[in-house]
Amino acid sequence: MPSASRRVLTAVGLVALAAAVLSFPSLAPNPYILSAGIVVLNFAVLSTSWNFVGGFTGYISLGHGALAGLGGYGTALLVTRAGLPSFVALALAALLVAALAVPIGLAALRVRGASFVIVSIALVLILLLVFQSWAAVTGGSRGLVVPRPFPGLLRPEHHRVFYYLFAALLALALLAWWLIDRSRFGLGLKAIREDEDKAEALGTPTLAYKLIVFVVSAGFTALAGGLYALWFGDLDPVFQFSILTGSYLVLMALLGGVRNLFGPFTGALIVGVALEYFKGRFGNTPLHLVATGVLLGLVVMFMPDGVLPALGGLLRRLRRTQQSSIREVTAAELRDEREREEARQ
Amino acid sequence: MPSGGLVFQSVILGLLLGGLYALLAAGLTLYFGIMRVVMIAHSAFLILAAYLAWWSHERLGTDPLLSMIVTVPLFFGAGVLLQRLLLSRLRPITLTMMSVLLTFAVALIIEGLLGYAFTGTQRRIQLSYGSASIGLFGARIAVVKLIAFGLAVVALGGLYLLMKRTTFGWALRATIQHRDAARLVGIDTAKVAGYGFGVGLATAAVGGTALSLDTTIYPSLHWHWIGPLMAIIVVGGLGSVPGAAAAAVLLGLMQSLLQIPMGTTWAQTIFYLALFATLAFRPQGFFGGRLAQRF
Amino acid sequence: MRSSLRRTRWATALAATTILALGACSDDDGGAESTDDPIVVGISLPLTGDFSEPGKGVQQGYEAWAKIVNDKGGLLGRRIELKILDDQSNADRVVADYEQLIGSDKVDLVVGPFSTRLVVPSARVAEEYGMLFVEPAGAAKEVFSQGFKNLFYAAPAVADDHYNHLAEYLLAMPADKRPATVAYAAMDDPFAQGTAYGLKAKLEAAGLKTVVDEVYPPNTTDFGSIAAKIAASKAEMLVGGSQYQDGVNLIVALQQLDYQPRLAAFSGAPTNLEFAAAIGNKTEGVLSPTGYSPDAPYESNKEFVEKFKAQFGKEPEEDQANAYTTGQVVGAAVTAAGCAEQGDCQKKLVDWVHANQVETVVGPLSWDAAGRPQGAHMIQQWLGGSIKIVLPDPVKEADLLYPKPAW
Repeated sequence: MPSASRRVLTAVGLVALAAAVLSFPSLAPNPYILSAGIVVLNFAVLSTSWNFVGGFTGYISLGHGALAGLGGYGTALLVTRAGLPSFVALALAALLVAALAVPIGLAALRVRGASFVIVSIALVLILLLVFQSWAAVTGGSRGLVVPRPFPGLLRPEHHRVFYYLFAALLALALLAWWLIDRSRFGLGLKAIREDEDKAEALGTPTLAYKLIVFVVSAGFTALAGGLYALWFGDLDPVFQFSILTGSYLVLMALLGGVRNLFGPFTGALIVGVALEYFKGRFGNTPLHLVATGVLLGLVVMFMPDGVLPALGGLLRRLRRTQQSSIREVTAAELRDEREREEARQ
Repeated sequence: MPSGGLVFQSVILGLLLGGLYALLAAGLTLYFGIMRVVMIAHSAFLILAAYLAWWSHERLGTDPLLSMIVTVPLFFGAGVLLQRLLLSRLRPITLTMMSVLLTFAVALIIEGLLGYAFTGTQRRIQLSYGSASIGLFGARIAVVKLIAFGLAVVALGGLYLLMKRTTFGWALRATIQHRDAARLVGIDTAKVAGYGFGVGLATAAVGGTALSLDTTIYPSLHWHWIGPLMAIIVVGGLGSVPGAAAAAVLLGLMQSLLQIPMGTTWAQTIFYLALFATLAFRPQGFFGGRLAQRF
Repeated sequence: MRSSLRRTRWATALAATTILALGACSDDDGGAESTDDPIVVGISLPLTGDFSEPGKGVQQGYEAWAKIVNDKGGLLGRRIELKILDDQSNADRVVADYEQLIGSDKVDLVVGPFSTRLVVPSARVAEEYGMLFVEPAGAAKEVFSQGFKNLFYAAPAVADDHYNHLAEYLLAMPADKRPATVAYAAMDDPFAQGTAYGLKAKLEAAGLKTVVDEVYPPNTTDFGSIAAKIAASKAEMLVGGSQYQDGVNLIVALQQLDYQPRLAAFSGAPTNLEFAAAIGNKTEGVLSPTGYSPDAPYESNKEFVEKFKAQFGKEPEEDQANAYTTGQVVGAAVTAAGCAEQGDCQKKLVDWVHANQVETVVGPLSWDAAGRPQGAHMIQQWLGGSIKIVLPDPVKEADLLYPKPAW
């Protein structure tokens, strides 16, 4: 029951956030900081795209890195081989990846839980093998150079343009997520997340719903991957098809909170800064892997709902005296509570 | 057209490789049977065991096989602790998904610590019998590969006897088949699940030692193993140990034979093609598993 | 170093909020360069991850160069200070590192990272900021076809030319004596593959038949099947496009199958100090191209080997020498141009390297317009328990042994 004052507050918050994001390039002291901002925005788009599947349906994919890689290679190949203009190639590549996501989704989404995770990992690994071996088309280990869309721009200007492009893409992805969240379609997806069998029994076309949202997610992921390829300029299968990328996306979304519109974005900010911090802190030892692992482990064990809900909970507790609204509880939480009580008996 | 000799040689290599895959996949599928957990860190523990074998050989000069005296009980204990302290505390409703991430985190931690302790340098145990081989109808079988295969067969045989002939094995199978029913007949399923995890991780200790005899090891090597192993357990039917073993030998053989016409990289795709084919046509696996569809 | 790291961290954190950004902006430094300041040389190296081992060799080479130059009073009277960042063997990171070094840390010079796969992305950053980019590792031909004008490879020859002397030697043999069939096995890496395929092109043109042509991914650890294919082909000559461990693994797998070629050449592996022990000391007759030998007679090499031994307690190898050579080239350019900072000075440095020849530990080096060095690699062979130069004739320490004894 959002009151008028809350709506105003939300609007002010959104405007402040947009202003913060948009003013960053003019405040960044040097091109390096700007490029770091692009990396964080790219993570935010990828992680928000991941959250279409992870957040709505509860299916955890470790393979979204592969979809981003496909978007990158698709864009690059359409530019270099078919001679298309950069951004036409980007859009076409995203459509192609979305189309490809249909058979992948049909194979992967028929099975639940564990098998889905295994398929998503297998997707990364098989694409890595294919893109490495099929060197005649992909360049293989020699890499693939993506021509710059704006050849005349100096590097700092190039960063600035792409920063705004990534920001626009992020806004688009957030808008799409928000729209689905409020729709009947979104309701059906959330029913799948809470109890797939019941949802099916109640008449939700579960496979079709899952497939549609997977395709949307793949399309946005491919857009982000393609845009990154246009910005970065060099593709190498080893770095494009990496399980680690996929796992970072999951970490970000989970850390921020998969049920929140801005959860993945928040997670991307935290992880992006944390990765930089670990690198500085642990310098030239592989302990940054340990730090990432510990962070992921802590989130899974103690904060599986993410920081935003945790912060929200804290706020609610502080304001409990003034407010007495009905608490929103998910089926999972209810079941949890029940099981915990059973265990106690 | 490859010569008969090359095909025969490849069949032998494929069977030897398949034996190792079978042992490694057995542990992975065991965890899944026990608590529907995809244990991403299995292959990281494998590499850890291989490093311990290498390290004991390098430092103490003992045969790498002796390291198992320490690593097998150590890994058993680690498996029990991992299950009791971490995995059993996850929410049951999201267990499958969250356990993937948790064991992923464990794998990252192991990889990072291995890199910290031993650097990223590729390591290989230098054995006096490292290049020795015996002849068999014109083919050559490397002694180290034969030892690794022998280890796998012994460990799998031991696992089979444990599962089929002991009270613990009976309780473990009951826990895998129907947890609630097992609890009703008085089995302490929590404890059995913990020990089951220990057994699974102990197979990683044996597998890692076998692996260290004839290949190079480096901290990030576990990513190279986890893909094929996961494909094997799905093809074999999630949760089915005999299914995993059969799928492992078959896929190892196919990989080895496909290398002749297709080369190393393309031949590896057989695992994933088999995985996709299994999910598309027979999601419960080709060897009698029954859990895959639902989980 | 710590304070600048902290600044970077702050600066990155400012992605989070505008408020932070406003705060961090104001402490952005703009101090003018004085001649007493050290010359800061920025480097990104794979200190962790899959390329970390050879990356360490490059790091030692750079450290040896900085120490030797500083002990003699520095460049232009200024001390050399290395600023090394870890790229985690990752292309995204290597680019971020050079962005940071050039844009945020304002280093005076940058030099190249390790591994061909990382050289192209990082060279692009340097190129677009107009920095001179001398590098010790990007030898594959793709590096030189990107249109870079500021890039120079600091070694005698590009990958495809490593075996040139061996090819000449084989082609000069009477046709009935030289090997008729050849097996190639190369790692799927632009550098390793380049060496093997450079030789393959020349031998095929002369009619030597290719019977096996295998490419394996860098993470291959089991060479049983590849070895089986090579053994079944009974090729008389074996060429391995290897780095280190893959070469050792392949040789051991071939020994297990009792395959005996009449000639065996591997790039990378045999020059490694641990090679002999790793393959059971059955090294006799194994060939390898090398761009560097500690025994080479060039003037600066004696000093390098001596001081390197004092600093690290062992002889330098090729990676160390290439990094040192990189330092020598940059040092020569700085001395000649009389400046070392970002801006117009970099153009002067680039022009000077294009126009001149530099005396280095691997001999005199000069480059074509794309930055390719204009030399060739020596061929070494294991003879009587040590590795000796056998080709070309003017520098050889022993005669080439052919056919190779059994291993």
